[in-house]
Amino acid sequence: MHTKFSRSLVLLALSLSLLARAQGAPQSGGDFSSNPEAKKLPTGVILVKGAWSSASDSVTPLPEGGRVANNNVYSNPYLGLTYALSPDWTQKYTGPPPSDNGYYVLAQIRPADTFKGTSRGTLLIAAQDLFFTLTPAGNALELINYTKDNLIAEYKVEQPPMLVRIANRSFVRFDYGSPVAELHWHVLATQIRCHMVQFVFTSRDTKLMESLIQEMNKMSLPDEAGPISGRGGGDVPVCIKDYAGGENVMERVDPVFAERRFNPVPVRIIIDKEGKVKHIHFLSAFPDQAKVIANALFQWRFRPYLRDGKPVEVETGIMFGRAPRLATLPSTNAANE
Amino acid sequence: MKTKKFVAVLAFLVALFFPGMAFAQTDPGVRSNTGVNAGQPLASVTASPNDLAFFQTGLAQFNEHQTVTGDNPGLGPRFNLDSCGACHSQPAPGGTSPASGIFPNIGPNPQSQVIANGVVNGSTNTIPFFVLANGPVREARFPFFFDQFGNANPNAPNGGVEDLFTVSGRSDAGSCSLQQPSFNAARAANNIIFRIPTPTFGTGLMANIDDSTLLANHAAQANNGVGISGTFNHNGNDGTISRFGWKAQNKSLMIFAGEAYNVEMGISNELFTQDRPLPGEDQLGSGLPASCLNLAGIGYPEDITHSGGSSASTVTSDVGLFNTFMQFLDQPTPSTTSPGGATSIANGRRLFSAVGCAICHTPSLTTQPSNLTAGLGSATANLFSDIEIHHMGATLADNVSQGGAGGDQFRTAPLWGLGQRIFFLHDGRCSNLLCAIEAHESNGGEATNVEAIFDQNLSPSQQQDILNFLRSL
Repeated sequence: MHTKFSRSLVLLALSLSLLARAQGAPQSGGDFSSNPEAKKLPTGVILVKGAWSSASDSVTPLPEGGRVANNNVYSNPYLGLTYALSPDWTQKYTGPPPSDNGYYVLAQIRPADTFKGTSRGTLLIAAQDLFFTLTPAGNALELINYTKDNLIAEYKVEQPPMLVRIANRSFVRFDYGSPVAELHWHVLATQIRCHMVQFVFTSRDTKLMESLIQEMNKMSLPDEAGPISGRGGGDVPVCIKDYAGGENVMERVDPVFAERRFNPVPVRIIIDKEGKVKHIHFLSAFPDQAKVIANALFQWRFRPYLRDGKPVEVETGIMFGRAPRLATLPSTNAANE
Repeated sequence: MKTKKFVAVLAFLVALFFPGMAFAQTDPGVRSNTGVNAGQPLASVTASPNDLAFFQTGLAQFNEHQTVTGDNPGLGPRFNLDSCGACHSQPAPGGTSPASGIFPNIGPNPQSQVIANGVVNGSTNTIPFFVLANGPVREARFPFFFDQFGNANPNAPNGGVEDLFTVSGRSDAGSCSLQQPSFNAARAANNIIFRIPTPTFGTGLMANIDDSTLLANHAAQANNGVGISGTFNHNGNDGTISRFGWKAQNKSLMIFAGEAYNVEMGISNELFTQDRPLPGEDQLGSGLPASCLNLAGIGYPEDITHSGGSSASTVTSDVGLFNTFMQFLDQPTPSTTSPGGATSIANGRRLFSAVGCAICHTPSLTTQPSNLTAGLGSATANLFSDIEIHHMGATLADNVSQGGAGGDQFRTAPLWGLGQRIFFLHDGRCSNLLCAIEAHESNGGEATNVEAIFDQNLSPSQQQDILNFLRSL
């Protein structure tokens, strides 16, 4: 009885299958779907990310981890920076991921819909990792001077770089403008943890910009901030360019990429007091690249860095994925110790 | 008294609204009063009878319609259209997507004519929902494969071209029976994106820009203070900068042509030597059925170099001729006066640089010496592109990865010839420049701050100058 029933089931299934095939049943899977009520993929979401930023842990703060909170305050734990936005100014869109030459768009601020002023403008808060900059500059001051010396023809210098005090810290300020656009750019830059951190105000209205710059005095910044200082230390690791080279490296395992993509893979690492890699930040890497680099880097051993005779944590940068760039630093003020 | 009051109110209203109306910025539209701005060979090609013969043979081949069998064999078994020139036609052969009723009036979307004009007469094809009479010409891709339940699987990236049509049912297609991809289901699952043809004018110049020039430009633009920082896509074999296609995924025009001949028309050639199944048929299935192979009956590859030819242009394969045709196409000719007049265009060009557009849309780059023709060597390519790929953010993201480019990264679209383009952005979603500019701001996009400067800080008349400048190209 049981056998007969099973045979009937098999025959029924076979018949249905043949019937379906004869009627040209829609294929399913791959490029074909017969489901008119499929689950919808979300719109406006980047699901396939390519080379992106990531880290070996989710606890250690990252430069791109700053946020504009509901109280309209931009805070960046990595940089130790807190900045209350002007009332009726807001961030409408978040920035792109860090670039493979270490450039960060930290926040893009503009008047909110509730803004009632007659003049408008924009504020870009950005950072440049001085370990990976393509510009021949070793600190924030040199980077701003380079900007001044290489302005395009449409811009005119309105105020050459000069040192100013903002929020009781030293900044370099540089103003330029475009006569044809009737626009002004006021740039205020400082250096924190070997990053140039810059606030770029753009508007037709210089009074508006000055009032916004005045409000910057309410910012809180780490003690190290300054156009040629800003090399970590204290509560955060000391940052040293190219520390992961030469005699500082006692053991080294090179990562082997399974696929050659030829993209630069800039990596910041924190080395603990014993010379082991404590944290890895991939500024821009494909997931498979990050995985093999992490596996390799955690096997590296470094000579502990001593300050005043005591070992301290060090933060440095390594470029994977391509041959290291030749040194381009023009001065002894590079982010080196 | 009442009349006086009415006049006063009217005057107030005019004063209030007229300036705004007078300076409300608008896209001047496709430039039509200066003739067709592109499609000519380089002057050095015209001056050389042999080169010109090559160019003209390439042009003829570019416009030739392919069939499954017969004199121009190899079409299918899957394809998007039967000729290069049908899609790359605006405003001249080599260009991009046409539309009916817009200068130079090339005609309605050729893809919508596929069944009507007999290209696939007798076939079982239906015209997909996104092929509209007024264009644009489109190819479709599914960012993700469907799973067995018909849901798009975000863990299974696809991104390959889903050819629109099959040869099934044609009298010259034998018993080959293929189903069109599930376009409607893909729409229901929000799992479909589109691409329009990239114009090929001036591409010989782009091919002849050395990597060192691109890298120097990249470094020079790096410290820009407006939020831009792109990168390059690389050729997977030799690691050099690739430059053709919406994501700069193709290294050379020859590869670009060979891949398009295979993917868009289904014609195997010496670069892509097999008939191409759909991505799912190939990667998850068993390839094309035997009844759909060798439909031309001539073996593979269907397009070859002809050893029996009597001249260079008759020896050369179709792909080689496409390559030569594109290499020899001169860059488009901009207008110095139209639209809006010379002053407005000149202002617009300066404003374009001042607000930061020119950081990515690099106005010009210099080519290296050329062994092909003098016009390609040490020349100024006014391409308005850095050939880098940039994050364009969530609004434009198509979630297709190609080479080193991720789902929201696109090559800076060269703007030469923009004045006579009808459709903008990779999927042709905009036919108005302001729509295209607006799409540059987005969560995760590099151009957001520049777009905000354009939007927030320029006066309407300055914005109009930029639009006039762009339409002068």
